[in-house]
Amino acid sequence: MTTEIHLQRAGELLAPFAKGTNNPEVNRLDVKIAASDLPAAASALTDASWGYLAAITGMDHGLDVNELEALYHFCEGAAVTTLRVSLPREGCPEIPSVSAQIPVASFFERELSEMLGVTVVNTPDPSRLFLPDDWPVDVYPLRQDFKQEQAASVQPDPTPEPGRVGNKFIVPIGPQHPALKEPGHFEFTVDGEIITGARMRLGYVHRGIEKATEQRNWIQNLYLLERICGICSHTHTSAYSQGVEKLAQVEVPPRALAIRELVAGLERIHSHLLWLGVVSHEAGFDTLFMYSWRDRETVMNLLEELTGNRVNYSICALGGVKHDIGTEQSATIHKALDYLEERIRYYLDVVTSDTTFLQRTRGVGTMTRDEAIHFGALGPTARACGVNRDVRLDAPYGAYKRFPVSIITDERGDLEARFVVRMKELLVSCFTIRTIVDNMPTGEIITKFPRKVPAGETVSRVEAPRGEAFYYIKSGGGESPTRLHIRTPSLCNWTSVINKAVGHQLADAPMLIAGMDPCFSCNDRMVTVRRQADTKTLSWFELREYGIKKYGQRK
Amino acid sequence: MNVSQNYVNKIIEKISTWARVNSPWAIHFNSGSCNGCDIEILATLTPRYDVERFGIKLHGSPRHADVLICTGPVTRQARERLLRTYEQMPEPKFVVAVGSCGISGGVFQGCYNIVGHIDEVLPVDAFIPGCPPRPEAIIDGIVKLLGHIQNGTRPEIMLTTGVQEAV
Repeated sequence: MTTEIHLQRAGELLAPFAKGTNNPEVNRLDVKIAASDLPAAASALTDASWGYLAAITGMDHGLDVNELEALYHFCEGAAVTTLRVSLPREGCPEIPSVSAQIPVASFFERELSEMLGVTVVNTPDPSRLFLPDDWPVDVYPLRQDFKQEQAASVQPDPTPEPGRVGNKFIVPIGPQHPALKEPGHFEFTVDGEIITGARMRLGYVHRGIEKATEQRNWIQNLYLLERICGICSHTHTSAYSQGVEKLAQVEVPPRALAIRELVAGLERIHSHLLWLGVVSHEAGFDTLFMYSWRDRETVMNLLEELTGNRVNYSICALGGVKHDIGTEQSATIHKALDYLEERIRYYLDVVTSDTTFLQRTRGVGTMTRDEAIHFGALGPTARACGVNRDVRLDAPYGAYKRFPVSIITDERGDLEARFVVRMKELLVSCFTIRTIVDNMPTGEIITKFPRKVPAGETVSRVEAPRGEAFYYIKSGGGESPTRLHIRTPSLCNWTSVINKAVGHQLADAPMLIAGMDPCFSCNDRMVTVRRQADTKTLSWFELREYGIKKYGQRK
Repeated sequence: MNVSQNYVNKIIEKISTWARVNSPWAIHFNSGSCNGCDIEILATLTPRYDVERFGIKLHGSPRHADVLICTGPVTRQARERLLRTYEQMPEPKFVVAVGSCGISGGVFQGCYNIVGHIDEVLPVDAFIPGCPPRPEAIIDGIVKLLGHIQNGTRPEIMLTTGVQEAV
């Protein structure tokens, strides 16, 4: 009922701009608007606090239709309002930026412009986000007529060597880190020890999965999408299968949905314990790292016993799940959870009472509720600021209606609150898993799934351990999708982290980025001295000579 | 003079091999992996598997490392950085490719941003298959490599065009 009210309200807010409206599904409203009205329409929604921008999907409808389309998905509860903007394919299509109203849109706009060749006017940072530096200009991988041969390597523009700018110094961090598992490049501008600005470059692990899904069939995509992320692999397969099942109108047996939720709960425990270990390692608290990873092995054992794999569980299948859970396994799960609950309570005690640790977390990176909403934070990061946003409750999917979870929020918004929220979420997960195991629905675990999926488009949202994962799936009626767009939660959370890093000490940066350790020792033995206009590169030896000469003159 | 010099060299060689085998320092580089292999590599350091009993230590700087542990297919953006990391390592250096993607490109074969598998960019000494390999498999692979280092034999290096470019 509330969903209908939300959609009705969105319809009223967007009425002045609407060129046509449509209700493709009960919880969705599509509004066609002109490109020039976009900032005003986005303002109308944000000013009325109607939801948040979940993703911008760019689409190429092909040479026959000669049209590009940008979809701006806004979510509020279970309701999804999509602003559809049609753009010409030829020439240089332009779209105005909405980053002024919605800061998180900056990342989405960078993605839109490099993938489809849409110029976003007035976007704060038009540089590349995902594509490599040696990618040729005017080649857009998500256009229908893209050929691999077009993407031959070109000489990239020389990137200026980071160094001193006036009184400030740019500290490059990454892409290779001593502790972090994923490569990403950060440039922190520092004034002394204080961070005054931050920039980031992604794309070191960009593999082009969205394009690859168009070349594989529905079943193959399940295995491809599982490998988007090894930590939350189940999130991606469940989001994908849920969307495709909705398109194919296949009813999934309740037992299969319960098993999916159970595995999602175990995945959350493994992911949060992994995070606890990595962040405490960043804080120099290696004992906690070893403790939490030792206990994480208990979950890994459970996952292995239930699914046969430790990391890519591969339990989701289109139409259900692959493995059933027997009675003897329920006993093992209860026993393991007894141990885990005891350990989690201990960790909750450690992260809230250890004086040294609290000095690194209490009052660091504090974000207010309004800031979290403004920056578009998601998941535990937002919930630690008092934003009660959780897809499992807002738009219950799968078995979450039958086995609901309780939401954990904290008002403080600092790093300590994020620890507390995550640890308490683990206790909730343990409780939910126990409920599912004790009240497992009976029946089949999988139904027959057609080879071809009827034409249509849908949106699938799943709560990953890190926040909401958003899938947009479009089928042309064939054996493979025509467009699949994925927005992962981390992309939204970067905006808040990057913005909140300003004003902190550089030493807090690793803790703020939560799991990113700066590697100063491998800074090259080359220093760039930058004056107003001329730039000079010195080798270590020349620098030494320069120093001796300079200090010699002072005598 | 010459004879004693040779003798000293031999002793030094023996000591350095002994040290290298007993305490190989490794650096980990993710060139486009999905994190699956990376968390399993990290798991080998933790109490259940405890790879430090072989003296293996994960180290942050390539300048101090003996073994480069690579995961994932090589993306276009990461290729240059992978080569740079490899070139910064002191001789003798060994490369281990972990996971199906590192061996063949895995599920990501044919994606537009993928250069290929690790062997197309660097000379790989040991391959550890699996998606992802279990921590036991990773330990087994590295210990086998240590056996080769001790015997002074290098696992056969496959030469591809990419290698000549890299070396």
